[in-house]
Order: sequence, then C-alpha cells, then structure tokens
Amino acid sequence: MVIERRWKKWVYFYIPLTLFVIGTLFPFYWMFVTAIRPDAELYRSWRAATNTPFWTLQPTLDHFRDLLEKTTFPQWLWNTFFIACVSTVISLFCGLLAGYALARLKFPMAGMLGTSIFVTYLVPPTLLFIPLADIIRSFQLGNTPWALILTYPTFLIPFSTWLLMGYFKTIPKELEECARIDGATRFGAMIRIIFPIAVPGILSAGIFAFTLSWNEFIYALVFLSSPEKKTVPVGVVSELIRGDIYFWGQLMAGALLGSIPVALVYSFFVEYYVTGLTGSVKG
Amino acid sequence: MKRGGADTRLAYGLMAPALVLIIAVMAYPVAWEVWTSFTNFSVRSEGRAFVGLANYRAMLGDPLFWWALAVTIVYFLVTTTAKLALGLGMALLLARPSRLRALVFLAVFLPWAYPGGVTVVAWYWMLNPPLITSYSLVAGTLKHAVDSTLGPGAWAFVSVALFNVWRGGSFTAVFLLAGLNAIPTELFDYAALETRSAWQRLRHVTVPLLRPFLALAVFLSFTGAFADLANVWMLTGGRIVFPVIGTYAYWLGIRQGQFGEAAAWSLSLVPLLALALLVLFRWFDPPAERPA
Repeated sequence: MVIERRWKKWVYFYIPLTLFVIGTLFPFYWMFVTAIRPDAELYRSWRAATNTPFWTLQPTLDHFRDLLEKTTFPQWLWNTFFIACVSTVISLFCGLLAGYALARLKFPMAGMLGTSIFVTYLVPPTLLFIPLADIIRSFQLGNTPWALILTYPTFLIPFSTWLLMGYFKTIPKELEECARIDGATRFGAMIRIIFPIAVPGILSAGIFAFTLSWNEFIYALVFLSSPEKKTVPVGVVSELIRGDIYFWGQLMAGALLGSIPVALVYSFFVEYYVTGLTGSVKG
Repeated sequence: MKRGGADTRLAYGLMAPALVLIIAVMAYPVAWEVWTSFTNFSVRSEGRAFVGLANYRAMLGDPLFWWALAVTIVYFLVTTTAKLALGLGMALLLARPSRLRALVFLAVFLPWAYPGGVTVVAWYWMLNPPLITSYSLVAGTLKHAVDSTLGPGAWAFVSVALFNVWRGGSFTAVFLLAGLNAIPTELFDYAALETRSAWQRLRHVTVPLLRPFLALAVFLSFTGAFADLANVWMLTGGRIVFPVIGTYAYWLGIRQGQFGEAAAWSLSLVPLLALALLVLFRWFDPPAERPA
C-alpha cells in the first residue's frame, strides 16, 4: 500500500512537476550557455565531432565584456531602471489612494468608478499607442524618458488600484474603527493603521508594477528612437540585431544581465509576493 | 449627513490623482483615435479632412484584414487552450504542499517575470537560428517540414504560439493558484468523500469553483492574443511573416504615418473586446467580488 502510494506520487506529482520546471527553465539555460560559449563554438557545425550542443567546455566572459564596453548596454540598464522606478512610484501612489477609497469609503458612483478602472486595465496598449504617439510628438516628449514615465501609468494605475483594493478588503474594518474611536481621523487611520498593515500588498503591487514597466515593449519601441535612450528590452532586440548579423553571444549576455534586477526583486520578495497574491490576514 | 459628505470629499480627493492620469493618458487618446479614424490624417499629406467611414470601408474591403483577423482568432484559440490546460495542471500540482514549493514557485514565475523582450531572443535563437549557427541545419529542417505541410509562415506562427504559451502558461498557473487558495479547503475534503475519482472531482468541483478565475484568465489571454504586437514583432524580428491586427496597425501608423487608417485598424479590436467583456461579466460576478 505504502509502496503503491509512493509510486503514484511519483507519476502524478514529481514527474509532471519536474517536466514542467525543465520546460520552463530550459530557455534560460540555453541563454546562459550561449552567453558563455566562445564564438568559434557558436558557429561550429552541428555535425562536427567535437560539437557539444548542450554545454560548453571553454566558458568565456568575452561576450559580457563586449556588451559592457562596446555597446550602450549600461546606459539602457540605467534608462530602464530610472523609468521603471519613477513610473512605479507614481502608479503606486495613485493606486494606493484610489484603492483605499474604493475599498473603504462609501460615495456616489463608487461602483461605477471601480468597474471602469477594471475595464481600463483591460484596454490593450495596441489600442493606445497610435494616439499616444501623436500626443507625445505634439508635446515634444518623444525620445525622452518622460514619454514612457507618463504613459506607463495607463496600465500600471488600473492594475495596482485593483490589486490594492482587493488587499484592503481583506484587512478587518475593526482595526480602523478602533483607531477612530481613539480619536484618529479617517485620513490618519488610513496612513497610520491601514497602510502599514498593507505593506505586503503594497510590495507585491510594486513588484508587479516594476516588472511590467521593466518589460514593457510597445511604448518603448514607438516612443524612443536614439540608441542611447532605449530601454533594455527594445535595445537588445533592435540594436544587437542588425540586418542579418546577430551578435548571439552578446545578445544572450544582454538578455541575462538585463533582467537581473527583476530576478533579484523576485527572489527577495517571493514570500511577500505570495502572501500579497493570496490575501493578507487569513483566518 | 455631514459625515457622509466628508467621506465623499475624501473619496474624491483620494481618487483624483488616479482619475486625472487615467483621463489624460487613456480617455483623451481613445477619443483622439476615434476622431482620427474618420479623417485622412497622415504624415504624407497636409492637414486632415473628414472622410466619414472611408477608412473602415477600405479596411473591410482589404483581404489582408480578414486574413489578419483569421490568424488572430486561431492564435487566440490555440494559445488559450494550451495555457489553460497547462496552467490548471500546474496550479493543481502547486497547490499541494511540498518542501520545494517556494523554489518551484519561483521557477514557474520566472518566464513571466523575465522581460519578454529578452527571453524572446532566446526563443528566436532556439527556433529560428540564422544560417551561420551551429545547429541551424536541424532547426532549418524542422522549419521546412512544418512550413511545407501547413503553408509558409506556419513555423513562425508555431514559434510565436509556443512563446506565448510558455510565457502566459505560467502566469495562468500562478493566477489560478491564487484562485485555488481562496477556496475553503473543507469543500475539497467533502469532495474527496463524495466523488469516486480525481477526474470527477476536477470536473464537478474544482473547475466550477474556479470559474471566475478561469473566466478572467480567458479574458486576459484574449486581450493578450488580440492585442498582441510585441510577441509577434519581436519573435519574427520585425519582419511580418504572418500579420495579426496589431502588427498591421503598427506598420500603418508608426512606420508609414497613415494615422487615419491605422486608427481604424486598432479600433476594429473594440467590438471584439467589448463582446468578450460582456461574456466575461455574464460569466462571473463583477470584479469587485474577486479576491485579488
């Protein structure tokens, strides 16, 4: 019986899980191997006797060095970081206040506003990039970070409002009521009682917003034109792929380095993130 | 009475920053787009004149539009089915407590968290290597086989769909996992007593309980596929091998500067989105009830 159960656990749990994780992670592994492979090996025939497609015996850091010294990659990193941080802060600020109002206050049209914020979240950038391109041009913001900082909130605000609203609803009302009996104003109770409790929710909304703006592609592709102004996702694809010449090693190195901040943010905050996603004060 | 007024004022004060930004960067652009789609605004000609429905008529008469629409619909159906199946399976596996859970969680989340703009490069390298790489022969043979049975561009379609599923599938998994966690465990305990097989349990208990989450996942996948521009653009290196509506609108508007026509193309997504939204709202209660 016990043996059978263990066998079942392997078939229904461990094996599918392992397969899935391998499938998920393989592209990253492939990126890594390609990034540290010397050029000679990258272009060697598949049929060569010495070919080792899935690993390399002479790892090299040349591609990383080239990337950092010969391209504007460090500049892209900084651009992306700056843009992602500022737009995340703006959206979190707006989302926090709006989310609180929608979750806690009774006011006319609250339901309508909540629904319309939800609907704006679903409006895809594909619908907006053409008019925004014209607006950006008429305000002469094209090719500056502000073009992105002002447009990213289009998807960040609805998203973070919605997430934080859900989170605020999980915090018991009594906490706030106690504070108000003790003489705090509603605004004071919000700042001193509710926001500190909501930190996991705020962090996970922040992580989400940061990731979304770090990864954003369409607006960055449309609004930025000169190489030194670009963000990592656009820069890597558009500047390192020139015609039919591909700097594969550098591309992969760029792909790896370009997402280190996001990967770090995730691994540090995974606990917060999971609680933020599954609700706060449970039970 | 006085209290209510203060609450209302506070509420609007708190909503103000979000509303101002949303109106400035969303409502105004959408209005601009609707208006532009009725004009012949283009960087090629001076001024803009009202042309009525001419842009829409031109679009509907264009066989390319119907082709792009068909491709978009197939793309949506294929990727959504795969993502839901994969996501649900993964969510069920992840819902079980296990020592490796945090690690697996991270692994599952990585494809979504990692910038699509750069992982797409890895996929491009895996699936469409150019001639002078070590294994282009292998990938080339594969591409040739797919293209010759399903028609030109099929391999590119397969690559984009695979990438979409890889990226979105894990997001769906995490999303559905959040849904599973929100369901009281007692319900599953009863279900275990009442049903005979795990399959029955899945069909009659888990899936119905997850319905709101599944609906939202389908909708997000819907907007993702219909509005997809980035994935297609990146994975085919800007060469439009098979068009979806988004890529063509980009091509018309940004590359050729024909804003009027491009606006009409983008707006052609609106009826579809509205329809999907309607179905979604029918299918589950308003979003306010959804635990985040």
